Amino acid sequence: MLKFLQQVGDYTKEAVQAAKYIGQGLSVTFDHMQRRPVTVQYPYEKVIPSERFRGRIHFEFDKCISCEVCVRVCPINLPVVDWEFNRETKKKKLNHYSIDFGVCIFCGNCVEYCPTNCLSMTEEYELSTYDRHELNYDNVALGRLPYKVTEDAMTTPLREFAYLPKGVFSPHDLPKGSQRAGQHPEEILKEIEAAKAAAAPSEKSTDSD
Amino acid sequence: MNLAEGVQIVSFGILAFMMLASAIGVVLLNNIVYSAFLLGVVFVSISGLYILLNAAFVAAAQILIYVGAVNVLILFGIMLVNKRRDFARIPNAWLNQGVTALVCGGLFALLSSMIIATPWSISTAPIAGDAALVEIGKHFFTDFLLPFELASVLLLMALIGAIVIARREFFPEEGEDLSAESNLTLPERPRELTGGRR
Amino acid sequence: MDSGIDLQQSFISLLEGLGLSHSLAKVVWLPLPMVLIVGAVTVLALVSTWLERKVSAAAQQRIGPEFMGPQGLLVPAADVLKLLTKEDVFPAKTDPWLFALAPLLVFIPVFLSFLIVPFGQNLVITDLGIGIFLWISLSSIAPIGLLMAGYASNNKYSLLGGLRAAAQSISYEIPLALSVLAVVMMSNSLSTIDIVNQQSGYGILSWNMWRQPVGFLIFWIAALAECERMPFDLPEAEEELVAGYQTEYGAVKFMLFYAGSYANLVLSALLFAVLYMGGWESPIPVSWLASLLGVSENAGWFQAIAASLGIVMTLFKAYLLLFLAILLRWTVPRVRIDQLLDLGWKFLLPISLVNLLATAGLKLAFPLAFGG
Repeated sequence: MLKFLQQVGDYTKEAVQAAKYIGQGLSVTFDHMQRRPVTVQYPYEKVIPSERFRGRIHFEFDKCISCEVCVRVCPINLPVVDWEFNRETKKKKLNHYSIDFGVCIFCGNCVEYCPTNCLSMTEEYELSTYDRHELNYDNVALGRLPYKVTEDAMTTPLREFAYLPKGVFSPHDLPKGSQRAGQHPEEILKEIEAAKAAAAPSEKSTDSD
Repeated sequence: MNLAEGVQIVSFGILAFMMLASAIGVVLLNNIVYSAFLLGVVFVSISGLYILLNAAFVAAAQILIYVGAVNVLILFGIMLVNKRRDFARIPNAWLNQGVTALVCGGLFALLSSMIIATPWSISTAPIAGDAALVEIGKHFFTDFLLPFELASVLLLMALIGAIVIARREFFPEEGEDLSAESNLTLPERPRELTGGRR
Repeated sequence: MDSGIDLQQSFISLLEGLGLSHSLAKVVWLPLPMVLIVGAVTVLALVSTWLERKVSAAAQQRIGPEFMGPQGLLVPAADVLKLLTKEDVFPAKTDPWLFALAPLLVFIPVFLSFLIVPFGQNLVITDLGIGIFLWISLSSIAPIGLLMAGYASNNKYSLLGGLRAAAQSISYEIPLALSVLAVVMMSNSLSTIDIVNQQSGYGILSWNMWRQPVGFLIFWIAALAECERMPFDLPEAEEELVAGYQTEYGAVKFMLFYAGSYANLVLSALLFAVLYMGGWESPIPVSWLASLLGVSENAGWFQAIAASLGIVMTLFKAYLLLFLAILLRWTVPRVRIDQLLDLGWKFLLPISLVNLLATAGLKLAFPLAFGG
């Protein structure tokens, strides 16, 4: 009997706990209802990609030395480097270069390791095509620069949340020239240099001694 | 004849035809699933007849119990059984069918003669209508108490039987070698019967 | 409580004034409320689909439909138009008769059940003696339609979904009926009108939700399961069963399922409001307001206002519950089939039985508070 009563008690406790958790969950959901919609009315509005956005890769044909480091660091050896050895100049001559963006995971290893910086990430992310083979970009396609969202007359560029001024939650209708919260890198740099300049005379005096 | 009576007669005709036609369909159709669905139609038309007799509660109970529970369970049973076996042709099937027809015809003749012969004493009490519910309740707890309780005991037995069958603990079938079977199937492990989730 | 305005009487006397006989006037009146309620239910179901979209969007920090009409209000209309004009496909090897019949079997009982939903003292199609029992018995027809859809589709996902749906709805019907029974026991009547009248008098304090807190929760859980709403939507769990019994359906037949499910949700919310939240009664009794303002309760304009307030109140309560259902949809994860049946048979059923017993005991002990 006692065991049964204890079972009933445990069961009740569990039920109450479950109800409590559901209540908590409901309050979270309810709280989300009054938050600002995070959606962007794409294609009429577009978010400005951040500085380190890893979009479609840009390739500069003339800088490439055909070293194939990008191939080696790529998780699946994706870039195709077609070169031949020029016996007269004793240099590799690059014929073709291509990356298939249907397979690429945009990890950025190739960009990181490229010795001549001929690879770089762009902010282009609208890569959809009707045929997956069209995603295999050759050196010409890789050399194209994407449109900047801020210069596109058709769309309203919107800043991401981290780039909004302090206390502002909506990226719409920002006053012109408003800056994001906190200091910009160049401002920090300036400050450090100013501090250095202020500290320099005394440092010099101590150094000379 | 006013509107209400006309509607009543027409709907009686429709319901009776529906009931008879689908009852014949239940018996004659080869597809067992069709038979089960037609059984539902039979029950619904019977409940329609109850409504015509001003017995709304009985009609609703008929739908709830026979259509909502019995028929659904029959369908469940049919759909969960996955034995697919073609019927073997029995050589002298006509003999079986003939005997069946004879028995059924005899029963029908017996029942109809009984119906015709019985001097029905039609009750003169006013139609209870919506108050029928109270009357039914009173009958259940006075002169029909014993059958009512017996029916509930019967249902309880069925319930317990279903639970016992559903929770059976690993009993091997007769004449089967267990060691050979256990390679392919998971033997059911005995579980503690007294509730307890942990 | 005053009986309020009687539309039927006034309509018939109006027609009689125009020179029609009494029975003919009645015949003219007969289809009017039915047509009205079918139209109203359709509109309510459409509004609830819109609400589902909008509230879901808000819960996920989206905007939801915006460009079709003001705030996307025309999306349901576009849905209906699209589904009506699509090709009516019968997939290969389906059973054409059962395949076409199944959506009707799901759809018609739901719409029939609106017969007993009261929007006011005289604003109900029929005040049946069996009242709420009609809803319970009609809602038990739906599993047959679901099994039929599952069987006729010739698709394993459909069959599994149909079986799951039927198992779910027959197991949650019992706690649902038992919790309704407790309310019926308190009001001594199955009629929805009587149930609401029993809750009138002290405004929000006299609602059944205070006297039946356990039944209140059980009913809502069981109603969500009956409607196959989110925590219990495993018959159409898209990750497992594509869309359950609806997988092979399209065009008009799918629309019947879709409208049926939303109408069922609206129906459950309305009946929940009727059973536990005082139906058309406002939180502050109208008669108190009348005496406070010094207005005669029998004044025609006051009765008109009271009746429309009743309709607004019923709908407001129902949509509040609908909102709660949608919030729950984005809060609670889907349960597994064994958890679902566990909850139904091992938790809700015993508790609703205990609730029924407790109600009976309380009714005997305190006949004044629990309806003698």
